[in-house]
Amino acid sequence: MESTSIWDGLARIYENTVFVYGSVLLVTYALLAVFSMISVRTYAKKDNFNQDITLLGSPLAPGITVLAPAFNEGMTIISNVRSLLTLNYPKFEIIIVNDGSTDNSLQQMINEFDLIKVDFAYNAKIQTQPVRGIYKSTNQAYAKLMVIDKVNGKSKADASNAAINAAAYNYFVCTDVDCILDKNTLLELIKPVMQEENKRVIATGATLRIANSCEFDEGVMTRMRPPKELLARFQEVEYIRAFVLGKMGWSLLNCVPNVSGGLGLFDKEVAIRSGGYDHSSFGEDMELMTRMCRYSYDNKIDYAIRYIPKTLCWTEAPVTIKVFNRQRTRWSRGLAQLMTAHFSMFMNPRYGRMGLIIFPYNFFFELLAPIIEFTGIIYYIVMTCLGLINWPTAIILLFFVYTYSVMITTLAILWDQLTFRYYKTWREVAYLCMTPFMEFFLYHPLIVIFALRGYFYFLTGKKSTWGNMQRRGFKTAAAK
Amino acid sequence: MEFSFYEFRYAPLSIQIAFIFIVVAITCTILAYLSILRGRYKAYRREKKLASLHPVIDNLLMEHILLNDELASDTPAEQVQLPVEVFRLPVFEHRWAREALIDRLIHYRNNVRGSMGEQLRNLYIQLNLDKDSLKKMKSHKWDKKVQALAELTNMNMSIADVTILPLTNSNNRELRAAARHAYIKLSKNEPFKFFDVVTEPLLLWDQVELFKIISTTEHIAIPNFAQWITYSSNKTIVSFCLKLVVHYNQLSAVHAVIKLLDTKDHYLRADAINCLGKLKIEEVQEKLIHMYDSQPLNCRLEILKALGRISSGKHVGFLRQEFLHSTDFEVRKHAAKSLIRNAWAAKGLIQELIDTATLENKLILKHCMNPLIKF
Repeated sequence: MESTSIWDGLARIYENTVFVYGSVLLVTYALLAVFSMISVRTYAKKDNFNQDITLLGSPLAPGITVLAPAFNEGMTIISNVRSLLTLNYPKFEIIIVNDGSTDNSLQQMINEFDLIKVDFAYNAKIQTQPVRGIYKSTNQAYAKLMVIDKVNGKSKADASNAAINAAAYNYFVCTDVDCILDKNTLLELIKPVMQEENKRVIATGATLRIANSCEFDEGVMTRMRPPKELLARFQEVEYIRAFVLGKMGWSLLNCVPNVSGGLGLFDKEVAIRSGGYDHSSFGEDMELMTRMCRYSYDNKIDYAIRYIPKTLCWTEAPVTIKVFNRQRTRWSRGLAQLMTAHFSMFMNPRYGRMGLIIFPYNFFFELLAPIIEFTGIIYYIVMTCLGLINWPTAIILLFFVYTYSVMITTLAILWDQLTFRYYKTWREVAYLCMTPFMEFFLYHPLIVIFALRGYFYFLTGKKSTWGNMQRRGFKTAAAK
Repeated sequence: MEFSFYEFRYAPLSIQIAFIFIVVAITCTILAYLSILRGRYKAYRREKKLASLHPVIDNLLMEHILLNDELASDTPAEQVQLPVEVFRLPVFEHRWAREALIDRLIHYRNNVRGSMGEQLRNLYIQLNLDKDSLKKMKSHKWDKKVQALAELTNMNMSIADVTILPLTNSNNRELRAAARHAYIKLSKNEPFKFFDVVTEPLLLWDQVELFKIISTTEHIAIPNFAQWITYSSNKTIVSFCLKLVVHYNQLSAVHAVIKLLDTKDHYLRADAINCLGKLKIEEVQEKLIHMYDSQPLNCRLEILKALGRISSGKHVGFLRQEFLHSTDFEVRKHAAKSLIRNAWAAKGLIQELIDTATLENKLILKHCMNPLIKF
């Protein structure tokens, strides 16, 4: 009799905890939806009056280094570098890091871009694996290009750090060599830095989209489409929600938790003083951002991190469960690493919004969410077996969560559509709008399972590298 | 229905809340879909309307203004009576169509020179489109004001100083910038007067825009920027004026720039040193070297760069010393660069340094001597 009441008590505590947790999460999402609407609309309105062309011809434009690490990207390296060379900006350089590729990436670049090895005074402000050589082009057309050949550092972080060491300008844009960038990416990313009134903008990010069904011509996106493959389309919807709704909402509060590794502009001085990318981290982009914020607080730098809702980068999404699993496992492992490494910031008023808002949010609603969901499912199953489920109530609650999640994702699509109208036909939009209805049942469980797998690997210290994405290449625009 | 309401009323609070949220979520989702549909339909209609109107406007402008031989005479533009009747089409009773017409007029005016530009301005006035712009100026919405300022500026319409000057200090960045541009372009007497009244910092983006306006506006009287370098309490104005001094090679402002070397703000000091280097002021070298040891890193680097830009050959000894003895990599690199720029006076010295320097210093020298490496 006594043990039954203990279990009853525990069950009630668990139910109430989950109820409070869920309610706070739902309210947070609702607030983010409102904040993101404000910042997306404000951005769109102001953007009408900012003429990029002014900056394009200006001698006052700040210089930007574009850095892109490459490991065994021989299949696409030439077209990718050519794509980067077409960027529209008056003062920039491109640094490609050949991170010890075992294919012929380097030789291809040497032949294609007339590269020769130069005596470059490389100052290793951030420690990396040894640099074997630095190459510059003898052809004036490729004067902006530099290639660093280095010993493989088993991480994108190590390669990025080598490029930061060699960067000439005060700002750097970090991207993946296989990402396709909009030709005005640099103009768009530097604008928040130049337009900030009172704070020092230490990083700027922009929306990423899935490239799988888009059309490209010579590395330039010519036709945007939602992915045909279901898994990739789920990721497109997830990206819209994360970037347009999540990060734009946080941007209004100057609480952006992360600037994506696929595309971000950073203040080089702060990045170097913060120690650069951590090569042992599985989530090196978020880790660097956290350290840059931490450094800024420690050194009393009144900083800002800004996000823009425009899509400036397209990346190939995994289309097989196996590759997707590997990617998400790595991401969640990176999150667990980050939370452990910087736990002293948690609820620490010394770190302002970072310690009191971003860190607790990430801890409770990013790190713990999969665990709580998993325990919830177990609890559900146990209660079902014991016949203790009140089915009408359970179904109503489930339906509530389902409709709410569909609404949040649909609002993200709405903000995106009202502002930019990326897809050409309404059929494509309808195709995308249908996806959130399936996401809850088909996609979300995968995310939870892979996240738990990442935590397990983190706890057990399983050896793992950031493996090859197994790219399939982009669709080329048909000749007219 | 009665049963359902009864059920709802006596359900636990969490279920009642869930019910309400389900209704809210479904409603919001449906509204979102309808908004997407409506937004796309509106944009589609607008595009379609503009696609049919633009050729009409272009044909009218081509036929009656741009290719009209009668207008290509020497008669002053304001005395020419334009065939405005042909532009009085029913479609232009709609505001969206008049806005499209203004946009096309601005587009053509930005792409033609001489009297044709003036005829387009005349047409804008004779069609009373300036009244549309002035009406927007009175709007309480900042975006309408910005739009009006852009239209009036592009059409070179004068606006009273009392209307624009307060806007140059507006809290809204876009409005502030548009007002400053308009003031520089339209003010007949003192286009730079707002430099005196600016209290807000001039953002880097503002500087880029102003720089373009100032350097591309024809018949603009360029003042001596020394007055703001000396007296302005707004650091961003001083910094911007230093860039303008370099652009206009304004040697008359050098004295004021040299005085700025004593400022306490080391960012401004670095800007002043940069300016003097770019102007190649030889006389200032002694002072720069004298102050070098007491400067923070950014100023030191600017001093080294300035010595390279001036390239008088008089201070290769100082550069050599910094190159050989500094512990900071950047200082050595910039000293080496400046030594190379002074190569005409230090050929033997550079060879000697290559022969005797440490491996790292030798690499720095080779780096600086390689024309393929710019930085």
